[in-house]
Amino acid sequence: MESQLKEKLYKASARTFEDLAFLLPSETPGEAQAAQPVERAVLVRFSGPFSGRLVLKVSGGLPQALAANMLGEDGPAPEGAKADALKEAANVICGNYLPEIAGPREVFRLEAPELIEPAPAGPEVSARAELGVEEGRCEVEFYAEGPGAPGRG
Amino acid sequence: MGLNILVVDDSGVMRAMIIKTLKMCGVPVGEIHQAANGEEGLKQLENHWVDLVLVDINMPVMGGEEMIDRMRQNPVTKDIPVVVVSTESSQSRIEMLEKKSSGFVHKPFNPEIIKGVIDGIVGGTDGKPAEGKTLQGVGQDF
Repeated sequence: MESQLKEKLYKASARTFEDLAFLLPSETPGEAQAAQPVERAVLVRFSGPFSGRLVLKVSGGLPQALAANMLGEDGPAPEGAKADALKEAANVICGNYLPEIAGPREVFRLEAPELIEPAPAGPEVSARAELGVEEGRCEVEFYAEGPGAPGRG
Repeated sequence: MGLNILVVDDSGVMRAMIIKTLKMCGVPVGEIHQAANGEEGLKQLENHWVDLVLVDINMPVMGGEEMIDRMRQNPVTKDIPVVVVSTESSQSRIEMLEKKSSGFVHKPFNPEIIKGVIDGIVGGTDGKPAEGKTLQGVGQDF
């Protein structure tokens, strides 16, 4: 169950970067990518048959690459656009991941994504995926709560 | 003559991406108007002639679903085609949103999907309405 949650989280995240920003992630970050410190983190809370949150953490200039590719513009993206692009990516990952693990007819409500201070993954994490993207990496943590939550019996 | 299009999404980057996609994929674009939530979107509709609305669902202040409901209650805006562009993935919710709107585009999307949905509403890329349809008043059945 745990490995399925992880694999689906990886696929939802990889597809988001590919389709949203034409970035091609690798399943295992390289040494240089893994060494990059986390630059920014975004949180998306959700509720429905079970509740929880998804945290997206990125490093290695990924906010810039994401914003530039989504806007289709070269050159440095404004700070607001970087944050906006990151929030949208987290929203899309979460929106696509939930039906994958809960079933296509279950209805979830996603709250507006918010920037948070990066922190290490908590022990209660239900699934975690790591991707190498461009010069950096992306960490996606999924926390599910409540009796109906996957991986919680 | 291009379509006057209103893009409603709380993400400025996503609005820019949708507008760029519309222009890139050959949709005949006239005036583009933008709004960051449903309330702003309704105000834009009061002030501008709009042929087509693309709207997100999860937004602060007023979400896309409420905006569509209010549009349908207003005789002036009730027949304007609306395409929902959302991360919504629940099949039952998508079916419900499809009934309320003229089309649904799932995020992340590619230009072909957007173009296909808009072509299905307004006809070909020349901007002429599809056979038997007018630009305002297509695809709505309430």
